Formats: sequence, structure tokens, C-alpha cells
Amino acid sequence: MYLAKQDNGDDRWEAQLRKGALEMAILATLWSGKAYGLEIIRTLEDRSQLVLAEGTIYPILSRLKEDEFLTSEWVEADAGHPRKYYALTKTGRDRLHKMAEAWVDFSRNLSRLVAPVLSKKELSQ
Amino acid sequence: MTSQEYLQSLRSYLKSLPSETREEIVLEIASHIQDALAQPGASLDAILARLGPPERVAAAYRDNFLLRRARRSFSPVVAAHAAVRLATKGIFGFIVAACATVGYCFGGGMVLVALMKPIFPRHTGLWVSGGHVINSGVIFPIPAPPAHEILGQAIIPICLVLGTAIVLLTTGCVQLFLRTSRFVQKQFQTSAEAMPRPATAQ
Repeated sequence: MYLAKQDNGDDRWEAQLRKGALEMAILATLWSGKAYGLEIIRTLEDRSQLVLAEGTIYPILSRLKEDEFLTSEWVEADAGHPRKYYALTKTGRDRLHKMAEAWVDFSRNLSRLVAPVLSKKELSQ
Repeated sequence: MTSQEYLQSLRSYLKSLPSETREEIVLEIASHIQDALAQPGASLDAILARLGPPERVAAAYRDNFLLRRARRSFSPVVAAHAAVRLATKGIFGFIVAACATVGYCFGGGMVLVALMKPIFPRHTGLWVSGGHVINSGVIFPIPAPPAHEILGQAIIPICLVLGTAIVLLTTGCVQLFLRTSRFVQKQFQTSAEAMPRPATAQ
């Protein structure tokens, strides 16, 4: 939002794209088991290019929990302070599965569509 | 900024949330800062910069909370508050908020007229002349004859019922909009998500 007003169309389009993918990406970080906020953020950093202000992940986690896609529990960690762990619910797993299917379908078709744009042959002509 | 200052600032921006929710949020962010500090080469300034300004983090929580509450609540105050937040989110939100404002002013005005009748009995009413409505509401000075007031004391129940109905209808419309609109889903729920990482984070 804040960014979009200053930026040109290209950046705004890319920002929208990232926004749209973020919820799925967050759910996907929890596919193989529970994790706490910073772990989720690190996984997102390592596995995706969805750079973001880290503080905004927490309100999204909170919303996903309210939507009953996630559960959370506080765990006394070895670190000496409690950590809030998130895990996918059944609803969350189903939702993520649907999202992943739609995503793969969508990106496969679009990739095919835009493939000529990036091919070297077209470029040289 | 120390981490305590950051958390205190976050807490103050979350004033409108129930204290239990607020403290849990603060505890979670505190936990994040402690974990991030424990990593090699960590600097507090960089960690706080990467979190983003406390007011933005808080705003995302507040929007979540407001939207959720406005969808459930039948209170015109909550719906009006949500409408005001909507007005800051693009032209479509502004139009909806403007319609809600008109509805609340009109309905509220009618209730006000009903309340004014006992105070200004001769100045409050509906005046007609020759089959046309000349004026209505609380009028100074009283319209001159041949215009005459036709409702009498009946204006009190009429305005109370109509005014309340309009306020409720407006609230209902705002709620319906909040529940069903894709626009709201997009604006409220993702407004802060795509914020750029601050340059100092690198």
C-alpha cells in the first residue's frame, strides 16, 4: 500500500504478485511440522524471494489462526523464553493443498505462454 | 531504540485491542527479538529495522481485529469505525465510507429531531402548505402561515423509528460489504504484507 503510491507500475505489479503468494508460502513453511515465527521467516528467506518486513508476518499468522488454518501454542524453550509455535490444522492442510494445486497449474500455463518472450531466438530477431 | 522501547511503543499502538490479545502479541514480538539477538552477528538496530516500525506492525493487527469485530458486531459505532478505516484504503473504500456517513447523518439527524421535539415543541415538525412540504426538522423561525405543522407529537415516534431504522440499515449495509467484498479482503488483510524490507536491514 504505502509503497505502491510512490512506485512505478512494474514494481506495483510485482508487489501484488508477492502479496498474493505470501499466504500460501507461510502455510507451506508449516507443511512438514510446527514452527515459531522466526523459523517461518528464515524458511521464507531461504526458500522464496518473498522479502518482507518481518513484523508483518505476525499479524498474518494471527489472521490465519483466526481463520482456523493454524493453531498455536506457547512452548517453554531452552532459550530461556517461551516461543509461540504454529501448526497447520486439517482445514489449513486442505486449503494449502488446493492453493498449491492452483498455483502449479496457473504458473505452468503462464510459463508456457510467456516462454517465447524470454527465448533468445525471439530476442535476436 | 532499545527493545523495551520498541515493545512499549508497539503496546501503546495496540491500546484498542483487549489486554490479553495485546500482551500475547507483545510477548511474541519480544520472543522474536530475543531469538534474533541470539543469532551470530546480530545487531538490535538491524533486527528492529527488519521488523518494521511498531505503528505499522500494530496497524496490521488492528485492521485484522477491527474487521473481525465489525463483521460480528451489530454496533453502529464499530461499523462506523470500520467505515472510517475503509475511507483511507482507496477510492472504492472512500465511496462506501461516504455512503455510510450520509446514512448515519440522516438517521442520526432524525433521532435528534425526535429528541428536540419536547425541548422546542413549536419549532419542531413538518410544515406543509398547499399540499407541498415546505420545511421539516427543527426550524427557527417557524415557517409563516399558510404553512402549518401537521405531525404534532407523532413526530417523536415517527422520527425515532425511521431514524433508528436508517442507522441499522446503514450498519447492515456496511457489515454486508465487509463480509462479502473481495476489495475488503484485499485491502484490510494484505495492506501491510508487501512492505519493502528497510534498506538498513542489509
